[in-house]
Amino acid sequence: MNMATIIALLAVVLIVFFAVRYIVKSKKSGAKCIGCPESGSCCKK
Amino acid sequence: MRIAFAGNPNSGKTTMYNALTGMSEKVGNWAGVTVGRKESPLKEEYSHGQEVIAVDLPGAYSMSPFTPEEGITSEYVRERHPDAIINIVDATNLSRSLFFTTQLLELGVPVVVALNKSDINEKENTVIDVAALEQKLGCPVIKTVSTEKTNSGLKELVDKAISLNGKGQVAPYVQADIDLHDKNQVDAEDRKRFSFVNDIVSQVETRQTLSSKSNAEDRLDSILLNKVSGILIFAAVMWLVFTISQAWLGPLVADWLVGYIEGFQEWVTEKMADSPAILTTIVADGIIGGVGAVVGFLPLVMVMYFLIALLEDCGYMARVSAVMDPIFKRVGLSGKSVIPVIIGTGCGIPAIMACRTIRDERERRATAMLSTFIPCGAKVPVIALFAGAFFAGAGWVSTVSYFLGLVLIFLGALLVKVVTGYKYRKSFFIMELPKYKIPSIKRAFFSMLERAKAYIIKAATIILVCNLVVQLMQSYDWSFRAVEEGMEHTSILASIASPFALLLIPLGFGAWQLAAAAITGFIAKENVVGTLAVVYGLTNFIDVDELAMVGGANEISVAMGLTTVSALAYLFFNLYTPPCFAAIGAMNSEMQSKGWLWCAIGLQLCTGYTVAFLVYQIGTLITEGHLGQGFVPGLIAIAVMACVVFMISRRIRADFDRQYALHGGKIPA
Amino acid sequence: MTLLEAEPEKTYTIKEIQTDDEDMNAFLFRLGCYSGEPITVISKKKDSCVVVIKDARYNLDSLLSGAIIV
Repeated sequence: MNMATIIALLAVVLIVFFAVRYIVKSKKSGAKCIGCPESGSCCKK
Repeated sequence: MRIAFAGNPNSGKTTMYNALTGMSEKVGNWAGVTVGRKESPLKEEYSHGQEVIAVDLPGAYSMSPFTPEEGITSEYVRERHPDAIINIVDATNLSRSLFFTTQLLELGVPVVVALNKSDINEKENTVIDVAALEQKLGCPVIKTVSTEKTNSGLKELVDKAISLNGKGQVAPYVQADIDLHDKNQVDAEDRKRFSFVNDIVSQVETRQTLSSKSNAEDRLDSILLNKVSGILIFAAVMWLVFTISQAWLGPLVADWLVGYIEGFQEWVTEKMADSPAILTTIVADGIIGGVGAVVGFLPLVMVMYFLIALLEDCGYMARVSAVMDPIFKRVGLSGKSVIPVIIGTGCGIPAIMACRTIRDERERRATAMLSTFIPCGAKVPVIALFAGAFFAGAGWVSTVSYFLGLVLIFLGALLVKVVTGYKYRKSFFIMELPKYKIPSIKRAFFSMLERAKAYIIKAATIILVCNLVVQLMQSYDWSFRAVEEGMEHTSILASIASPFALLLIPLGFGAWQLAAAAITGFIAKENVVGTLAVVYGLTNFIDVDELAMVGGANEISVAMGLTTVSALAYLFFNLYTPPCFAAIGAMNSEMQSKGWLWCAIGLQLCTGYTVAFLVYQIGTLITEGHLGQGFVPGLIAIAVMACVVFMISRRIRADFDRQYALHGGKIPA
Repeated sequence: MTLLEAEPEKTYTIKEIQTDDEDMNAFLFRLGCYSGEPITVISKKKDSCVVVIKDARYNLDSLLSGAIIV
C-alpha cells in the first residue's frame, strides 16, 4: 500500500459518506430532487 | 409570529418575500408565477431578533377561488390565522386591487397595505394620497419598491406589521348578512363592495396618464400578438436561447472547463499508477470521470438558465401565452399551457406545478402529462453529448429536439382530446398583459448561480453515488468476483440490463450499456451521461473535434458502436420517455388521479419508443437502403400499444356517455 | 353588440356578460368586468382582442369577447 492508495481510499470513503449523508438528510426533510432549491416547496400545497 | 403575504397576481409578493427573507424563490413578470405556499424566517435586519416567519402565497383576485392556486391563498388566510397580513397592492392598479384588500380587512387579522411598484406611479405621474387611503381603509398604508435596495419602504412595512401583532382589525366595509348560495344576493353585495372601492379610488388617486390610452407598449404588443409575426418571433427567440446556450457561448466555456477536469483525471491516474486497478477505476472513471462528464456540461445549462430568467422577467411570457392560445386551443389545450412548456426547458417539476393556473381540469391534467416532452435542463447534457459525438456539435440537433418536443405535445394533446372525447365545457382564455420591464441582469445572474449550485450538488451527491454503484455493478459478477477483460457481459450490470436491451433492438440500440444508461436516467436524467461515461470509460464528450482530427475517427461513436441514425434514435428515446422519478411524483400530486398518472407514464413510454423506432427504421432505410434490425417485432410492439390506447379510449368514452346521459336525465337505449 | 363588433380605441359600457359559466362570470366580476363598468378596446384581431378593464390590460379570446355585450 503506497501513499497514493491510502489517500485515494480515504477520499473515496469520505466523499461517498458525505454524499450519502446529504442524500439521506434531504430525503428525510422531504426533498424529491436532491440539491434542487425548489423541491422543498414543490409537491405540497 | 407569522406574516402572510397576500395580494393580486403579479403585484410583486414573491419579489418582496425574497427581499425580506433572503430566499430566491422564482419570480417572473406574469400573473401566476407562485403556485404554492412558501415559508421562511425574516432576515435579522428586519426581524430584530424576534422569530418572524414570512409566508408567501399565490396571487388571488378575491377570497373566492377561481383556479386551484387561488384556493391555496384563501384557505390559508381563512383557516390558518396568520398573526398579520401584508397585503401587497399593485399601486398602478388600485381600483382592482382594493377589492381583495377590503375582503382581507374583514378577517379581523391586522392588515398592512404595501403600495408596491410605487416607482412606476412616479414615472407616470400618478399620485396616491397615502394618508387619505390609510384613513379610509383603517389600516396602515406604506409605499414600497421591493426591487430597490435603499428607500424601499420595506423596513417601515415590517416594523408596522410586527407592531400590530396580537391586535385586531376593524373593517371599513363589512359584507351584509346574505345567503351566500344565492347568486343574485352575492352579486349585488359584490357590486356594493366595488362601488365602495371605486369611491375610495376616486378620492385618493389622481392620474395624469390614462391607462385606457394606447401607448408604445401597445404598439409592441400588436406585433408580438400578431398571429404571423408573433409566432415567428417566438420561434426565433427560443431558437436563439437554445443556440446561444448549446452551440455558441455554452460550449466555449465548457471546452475550457473540461480541459481542467481531464487534466485532473490524468494527474490522479498517474499518481495512482501503483494502486490496485479496481481502486484506480473507481476514482478515475467512476468518480472523476462520471461526475466530470456531467459537470462539464454545466456551462451550457447555466447560459440557458440565464437567458430563460431574462425572458421570464421582461413580460414576454404573457404575450407568448396569448399568441399561442388559438393554436393550442385547436388541440384541446389553452394558451396557459405555454407557460409550463417554457418553464419546462429549465426543469420539469416547476413546469408541472405551473399547471395549477389552468382552470379546466382536463386541460390541466393534459398539460401536466405532456409538458415534460420539452427537454429539461438535465437533458441538455444528453443532447449536447450526442450532438457533439455524432453530429460534430451541430446546432440543429438541439433545435430539432426542442421543436420535436413541441410537436409531440401537440400530437399528445390531440390524442388526449380524441381519447377523452368531446369537451362539455367551453374554454375561455383571459390573460393579463403586464407592463414590460427591462429584465434585471443581476437577478438573472443570481437565479443562474442558484440553479448551477443545485446542479453541482446533484452531480456530487446522487449522480456520484449512482455512478459508483454502476461502476461496481459493472466490475463484479454475481459471485462478487472481479470481471475480467472481454467478459464484461457476465457482470451484474450487464445481466440486469440485458433483458431491457432486447426490447430496444428494434430501436437500433440493443447494447446492455445503453439500456443501463437509459434506466439510470430515471433517477436523474444527467445520469445517462454519467453512466455512459462510466461504462465506456470516456470523459471528454465536448471537445470531440480535436479527437476526430487526431485519431481520424471519433472515439466516442466508435466505442458506443452506434450509427448516426441509431444515435439519434437513442437520444430521442431518452428525451421523450418518462421524466425522472421526481417529476413523475410531481405529476402524481398535480393530477390527483392514479388513472391519469398511469396513462401519462404509458403515453410517454409509448411515445419515446415509437419516435425512436421510426427514426431508426426510416433513417436506416434512407441511409442504407434497407430496414433496421427487428422491424417486425418493433411493429408488433407498437401495434399492441395502439390497441391499448384504443381500448382505454373506448372505456373512457363509454363512461362519458353514461355521465352525459345522467346529466341529461335520459336513459341510454 | 358584443366586443367582437366593437371598434378599437373606443371605450364602451358593459351591458351584460353571457359566458353561460357562473364561475367565469364571477371571475370576470372580480377583475372589474361587469355590467355598468367601462371597458376599452385597445386592439382587435380575428381571434383575440386586447382590452383595458380598470387599469389593467387583458388579452381575451374570441369566445370570451363574444360573451361580453357592450
